[in-house]
Amino acid sequence: MPQLQHEARALLEQGKVDYILGFEPGTLKFSTTPLITKNKEDCARLVVNPFIANNLSVYLPKLKGRLGIVVKGCDSRSVVSLIQDNKVARDRVVIIGVPCAGIIDLDKIEQLVSRERDEIDDIVRQGDRVAITLGNGKKEFPLVSVLADNCLACETPIPKECDILLDPTDTLVTDPSAGQQRIQEVESKSVEERWAFWEKQFERCIRCYACRSVCPVCFCERCFAEETEPQWVSPAPHWQDNMSFQIIRSLHVAGRCTDCGNCERACPVNIPLRSLSKKMVDLVDELFDYKAGTDKSALPLMASYEADEAEGVFR
Amino acid sequence: MSEQTEFEPKLVGFLCRWCSYAGADLAGTSRKKYPANIRIVKIPCSGRIDPLFVLKALRLGFDGVLVSGCHPGDCHYITGNYRARRRLALTKKFLEYMGVDPRRIQASWVSASEAGKFTDVVTAVTNEVREAGPNRLFTEEKEKRATATA
Repeated sequence: MPQLQHEARALLEQGKVDYILGFEPGTLKFSTTPLITKNKEDCARLVVNPFIANNLSVYLPKLKGRLGIVVKGCDSRSVVSLIQDNKVARDRVVIIGVPCAGIIDLDKIEQLVSRERDEIDDIVRQGDRVAITLGNGKKEFPLVSVLADNCLACETPIPKECDILLDPTDTLVTDPSAGQQRIQEVESKSVEERWAFWEKQFERCIRCYACRSVCPVCFCERCFAEETEPQWVSPAPHWQDNMSFQIIRSLHVAGRCTDCGNCERACPVNIPLRSLSKKMVDLVDELFDYKAGTDKSALPLMASYEADEAEGVFR
Repeated sequence: MSEQTEFEPKLVGFLCRWCSYAGADLAGTSRKKYPANIRIVKIPCSGRIDPLFVLKALRLGFDGVLVSGCHPGDCHYITGNYRARRRLALTKKFLEYMGVDPRRIQASWVSASEAGKFTDVVTAVTNEVREAGPNRLFTEEKEKRATATA
């Protein structure tokens, strides 16, 4: 952690960046909150821990000047994806990479110990286990049971595109089958059952657009959901419109989404959005052999094509 | 209405102005027969197709969507149909995962001289969509039950 604070401070002092985008402890227990600052003294508040869930690259297209940004593996791919889409220039960002050892999903911990997060005193990572302190009792769980689903399926925990790479603290333990489990549950249903399942999920949606706001690759200046001529979807939260919105959103971020899982984390009504985004990531890989944000000089997925691909879709 | 009428699907066909629309035109002028279930919309290029159009057609109650354009390599705008192919392949597979019968979303390459292929495609697509049954994707649960018991 002091390494990050030191590096960030040096960047500001040497005038290499105008802003630092990182994480500081949040007001809620264990949570972190984005810290965007010009002031080098603020760098002392920067943290790196297993709760830095947000994808800070969402701020890149909105900020002016040179930006020093703290990224995890998935976030660094989002930055590359934004570079591919010309939303930010490579020489305008200084990427500070965090070798990510996985984000701890507080919901999973709450379920495991059946307590609210306020009643938990401490959560400590120890190798491939996690120790949870509750009052005077202490419980240990395997790390894979508390990591976020997208981290379990992660392929790029260490940022490839970065200017400064921090020293690793721990290594990520993955379990791809666990990360894929909820998608397989949907796939095991018949086509009619799947629609009924999603209909039920999207009945809860309140159209707060939190999924859109946290998504770094959902950067349209005018979203189709707000277009009125023609009006593609009604702004009222009917499940038909909620579902249409999310289907099209998923298609819009195809080839850009890096499965950072923040749409699902942001959802106030717990719609399993990652079961959509991860499926889209898999489809893009399966159909077009394309992984989002892995090559900054590549054309975006939908701006390129191969002469022979996706055979069998057209008659 | 006590007697059972056979379900006739309603299809929307987005045909590219340069190839498939001309192909359909040729089918007409050559007096070839094809099912009257399809409603044709002329588009400038198959690359004009946005997944939104497909979804909106299903939302409006069409039982199936057909997108047709020039054969690969023959696009009037050089690359439009390649882009359409990427977009539609993804749309079809993703909607299948969401729970849309893949028979409802169809695509074909029909050139301006292929009147025969056009009638074959429309006939095959109509039959497949007829098998898939009426589109009740966006109807309310209550209505679904009402039509199922009626």
